[in-house]
Amino acid sequence: MDTSAAPAAGRIEIDGRIFNPYAKDYIREPRPVWQRLLRDYPLAWHKDLQMWLVNSHALCDQVLKDQRFTPNYRAWELAPPPKAEADKTDFDLAYEKGFFAVSPKDHLRLRKLTMPAFAKPVMAKIDAKIRDLVVECFDAIGEAESFDVYQTIASKLPVRAISRMVGVPTDKEEFFHEFAVNIIKATRINISAKEREASVELTKPGFAYFKAQIAERRALPHPGEDFLGSLVGASDNGEKLDDYEILSVLFALITAGSDTATDLHTFAILGLLSNLDQYELLKRQPQLMENAIIELLRWGSFGKVPFFRFATEDIEFHGQFIKKGQAVGVNISAAWLDPAKYPDWDRLDLQRRLDGNLVFGAGAHFCIGTYLVRVQGGLMIQEFIKRFPDAELLDGTGELDYDYQHHNARRINRLMVRTNRSSSSLQQAA
Amino acid sequence: MQKWICIICGFVYDEAVGMPAHGIAAGTKFSALPEDWVCPECGSPKESFEVQE
Repeated sequence: MDTSAAPAAGRIEIDGRIFNPYAKDYIREPRPVWQRLLRDYPLAWHKDLQMWLVNSHALCDQVLKDQRFTPNYRAWELAPPPKAEADKTDFDLAYEKGFFAVSPKDHLRLRKLTMPAFAKPVMAKIDAKIRDLVVECFDAIGEAESFDVYQTIASKLPVRAISRMVGVPTDKEEFFHEFAVNIIKATRINISAKEREASVELTKPGFAYFKAQIAERRALPHPGEDFLGSLVGASDNGEKLDDYEILSVLFALITAGSDTATDLHTFAILGLLSNLDQYELLKRQPQLMENAIIELLRWGSFGKVPFFRFATEDIEFHGQFIKKGQAVGVNISAAWLDPAKYPDWDRLDLQRRLDGNLVFGAGAHFCIGTYLVRVQGGLMIQEFIKRFPDAELLDGTGELDYDYQHHNARRINRLMVRTNRSSSSLQQAA
Repeated sequence: MQKWICIICGFVYDEAVGMPAHGIAAGTKFSALPEDWVCPECGSPKESFEVQE
């Protein structure tokens, strides 16, 4: 039931005139909108989006750590009715077994079984596996005086890295990319039910492919040491992951590390070349890389629409009454620029102390792909610095453009960089 | 001295090293950390940690 039509007494309400995530002006320059939300509406019901909007860092942190707010969209008051067992697709079955849908107890079990495949020491080994992909992307730039970061790096590297990680052959990368995009779209509540269902349909070939891969691994005497093999072989006191649990982990990996990482690359380069003092600092102090990636993500704040959570019960929250089933938009993009948390919020500071940051979320659903993103981002920036130490944004602006139709990110789809290769060559020669 | 790993994010608390930058001295047992202590990486509670084999 849609409960938005009957406003509760005292409910703070906003509408699309204050926050419209699809407006071109907002996508180009969201900071004024976010600062207004942070100042005047840390928590409000959005009448047009039909959801609560949580904006401040402190409140976002609370919602993300409060298990009464679930990421399971089946708890949404506007969710489609459950399907009969016979009608469920592989997507439905994997979703039901996945991190977002299972109980907190089962979620911990799933994280425990899968953590070895995602933890920091394992991701360090991934470094060796994807380094050549990074080099290939940069080799393709050749001797060009300028190039587009989106076309050359951001649109290619993330999907190739995830493909490599899960063992998808090079000639199936496009197929895998389509699967990844449709997996993500199938869970988005900001697109129509019809579009979501169309995306579910389009995931079928991908699920069939991976089910066959899992069956092959199970038939082997040892499933292998790679990512998929480690999931097939994962065991905790004899308990193993079943096929749909493994598919649900792939699902999580795709959502965590594929489409989202595209924005990491463009916004990282934009951040560094818009703040050349910080670019110089990182060149001098490469040990800052891990902190730099988190700060670049914070400063770039590429999200367009919030994370979604759903109230599993009626909740009194900071003077507002959130009804069971209502959607809650956790607007972490705004929270990352909250002056209450970061007084100099608009300054890129690669040495910033980032304790308690929400860049990868917080609590039980903390981003499972966090180390993968850091490895991939770090390798890309290292190679960029090595090849183009004197790079600048072309014409001072990078001739920036956006994909205004992207379903959840302020997706930069053009970022032109001048390599200044000749000036660095001359300096080296001198 | 043991190492404890957060099963949500993979952060490792090493009792031998502690977290001096956060005011936790080297040699501080995991059990001696306050009950409301949370993982510095992901904010998960102490119950999310297990001894690292």
